[in-house]
Amino acid sequence: MALIVNHLTRTYTGPANSVITAVDDLSVEIAGGEIVGLIGPNGAGKTTTLRSIAGILLPSSGRIAVDGHDIVTDAIAAKRRLAFMPDEPHLFEYLTVLEHLRLVARLYAVEDFDRRARTLIAELELTGKERSLPGELSRGMRQKVVIACGLVRDATTLLFDEPLTGLDPVGIHRMRETIVARGRAGACVLVSSHLLHLVEEICTRVVIMDRGRKIADGTVAELASRADLAGAGSSLERIFLRVTGHDTAGSRP
Amino acid sequence: MLHASLYIAGCSAKNRVAVRLRRLREPRYFVGALLAASYFFFIFVVPRGGRRRLPAGARFPSAPLERFGVALGGVGLLLLSTAAWILPSRSHLFSFTDAEEAFLFPAPVTRRQLLLHRLIRSQLGLVFAAMVPVLLVAAPGTVASVVDRLLLGIGLWVVLVATRVYFAGVTMARDHLGSSDRRVQGVAWAPLLVMLAALAVVAAAIARAVPIPVALVPATLAQITEATTVGWSSLALWPFRTLLGPFFARGAVPYLVALSGSVLVLLATVVWVIESDRVFQGVSGGAATPLATRPQSRVTAPPRLRWSGWSLPLAGRTETVFLWKNAMETLRGTSAKSLIPIAILILYAVLGARFGMSIGLAPAVCFAALMMAGFTTMIGPGSVMGDLRGDLRHLELLKTWPVKASAVLRGELLWPGILISACAWLALTCAVVLSGAAFPRVPFVWRFSLYVVAIVLVPALVFAQYVIHQAAAVLFPAWVPTDNEMRGFESAAQRLILFGGVVLALVVIVGPGAIAGGIVAFAFLRLTGSPLVFVPAALVCLAVVAIEIVLATEALGAAYDRIDLSGVERGESSRSRR
Repeated sequence: MALIVNHLTRTYTGPANSVITAVDDLSVEIAGGEIVGLIGPNGAGKTTTLRSIAGILLPSSGRIAVDGHDIVTDAIAAKRRLAFMPDEPHLFEYLTVLEHLRLVARLYAVEDFDRRARTLIAELELTGKERSLPGELSRGMRQKVVIACGLVRDATTLLFDEPLTGLDPVGIHRMRETIVARGRAGACVLVSSHLLHLVEEICTRVVIMDRGRKIADGTVAELASRADLAGAGSSLERIFLRVTGHDTAGSRP
Repeated sequence: MLHASLYIAGCSAKNRVAVRLRRLREPRYFVGALLAASYFFFIFVVPRGGRRRLPAGARFPSAPLERFGVALGGVGLLLLSTAAWILPSRSHLFSFTDAEEAFLFPAPVTRRQLLLHRLIRSQLGLVFAAMVPVLLVAAPGTVASVVDRLLLGIGLWVVLVATRVYFAGVTMARDHLGSSDRRVQGVAWAPLLVMLAALAVVAAAIARAVPIPVALVPATLAQITEATTVGWSSLALWPFRTLLGPFFARGAVPYLVALSGSVLVLLATVVWVIESDRVFQGVSGGAATPLATRPQSRVTAPPRLRWSGWSLPLAGRTETVFLWKNAMETLRGTSAKSLIPIAILILYAVLGARFGMSIGLAPAVCFAALMMAGFTTMIGPGSVMGDLRGDLRHLELLKTWPVKASAVLRGELLWPGILISACAWLALTCAVVLSGAAFPRVPFVWRFSLYVVAIVLVPALVFAQYVIHQAAAVLFPAWVPTDNEMRGFESAAQRLILFGGVVLALVVIVGPGAIAGGIVAFAFLRLTGSPLVFVPAALVCLAVVAIEIVLATEALGAAYDRIDLSGVERGESSRSRR
């Protein structure tokens, strides 16, 4: 398995020393070539899960391994294989688009950088913006730069957090193609999104979270055939509403 | 709108304090706060040698001090006010946060109300900034009454508000100096011309009164005071002297009179800024503020691409990645205007060297250069946050990179350390060039030896401070401001705590190096008697501190890996500051 999340729990200290459990005993295994959609209502723990896998947050308990490398005890080897593309584009204000890519290439020891950079810039429609600073780019463009930084290296595990935020229709179409292409090329892809139609369209499997816990895991067809979801229909939206207890339409007589 | 502004300011302050008090439940923050509070208590509140009360009537400054103080303070304020026009920094007083833009700009309020809202929101921080020094720092060994200190604090608060508003007005006017509209151009240029005229009048009066070469300091002060308290120069300095009046008033009634004058100057400054803004924006002030003419939030010039020839090599040590990145951020984010004071200093030093110190101001410039070197070395690392503190907002990205934490920490401090050291070296070099005029009785070999010693010790002090700041960022991320903007009065308290911690830690880090260097110096001095022995002593000190820095970054690496992102301060963001 390319990515193994084993009994991951992440807690925070809340007001009055209360313990808030953002992710509660989550276990997921994703193989190379799989594109898994991570969905759930706001506050379900999706972003915390992705940030824990990316090594940004330390797990309170549990284990995360990327290609067999533990994200805590063997962090550098694990991070070399990971690419995390957050929903908020964090870019350095005074580095150009190309310099961002070069920076990443240096950190991840990317070979054949020039060719890869050219290809990616064309693929993500950033041509002509190579020497632009982030302040000169739209939000969608900045999001593309973040994604380009994630794709410029050969990561085996790709983590996308709301990858379509701020993109125009053409950008959305291109991004869908890009994600699918990476999955077909053998990468393990985990996509967190509220856009259920996107998840349904590109993902080979879906993990549904609610209040920190995994409440469903499988292909859309598998979920539709689950006994407790009978009658929800075959659309991911209906399944999602049913499994999270918000399917008011389905509960009507 | 006033009610809404007070509500926002009050609720924000209350909640920020609550969050920070809640943070003290974490043992490390609690212990840190306790240590810092003890430090300030023993340093400032309990004076060494016991307390003594001031004799009755001694709490007010003496007549000569009042006379000198008002005059010289006025000249100083005039110089600062004029310098504000060429300083590269911008005022953020009227920079609105994203939240303010979202909630207040569409609201049915006038532009004037929006500006006053920003002014009101900045007051808590300014009150704190004014009160802390006067409450903590009393005359050594004395206990001034709380009322006296409060009165001084109020005076200082008015001065701080006035200077802040003035600087905001200057920033606003500077943006419109090149306007094509004649009226706007007039309003933008008028204050600059008035300021230059005042400066010329005062400078001419001082030049007439103070003979060159400059005599002894007390006599010179008396001459300057004499020259600036009569005639046109007195008139030119009136607003500045009036603003400082409360500090030097002797007795309750004179204090109130002086404070009234000070407040009057403040109100005049506020009116100037608001009226200037009305002209600059070309609106009557009665309509709701459209986004297109919003006050100054996003009108700052976008960053420009410079130094693009310095490319990052695709292979090398991790540290150099951060060196390059931070260098780009500084070089591209710094205006060429900021180099003007340095250029003037270099020019003067070169002229001094070329014309054999015959220029009358050489000693003064030498002292200024020495002060600049000291200031840069000791204050620079706290102010120039091109290290991990500046990157705390990018921490989420940094933590995904496959690099050793200790290498990140070392890399982060490389560029700002080099930059600050280079600035201090420059000032020291200017000082040594002019030192013959300032210290004619000190032999050249001593001056040169001390210069080399300073050159060697500067990086030790600078890098040691940066390590301490990195440690603070890693261990107490919630206490480290990610920029130089003061967000509230409790932020100022946190900065004070950090400052105390940095001073203490610096003593601990530099101590072993100083002892080792001291031993070397003592041993060689007995043998040779030459001041040049201080050079190897300084090198030994530098080596010891360098080893400590490497060990410290290795030790801090583990803490960096465990750093909690939720602790990083993220206030209301303003896109203009990003």
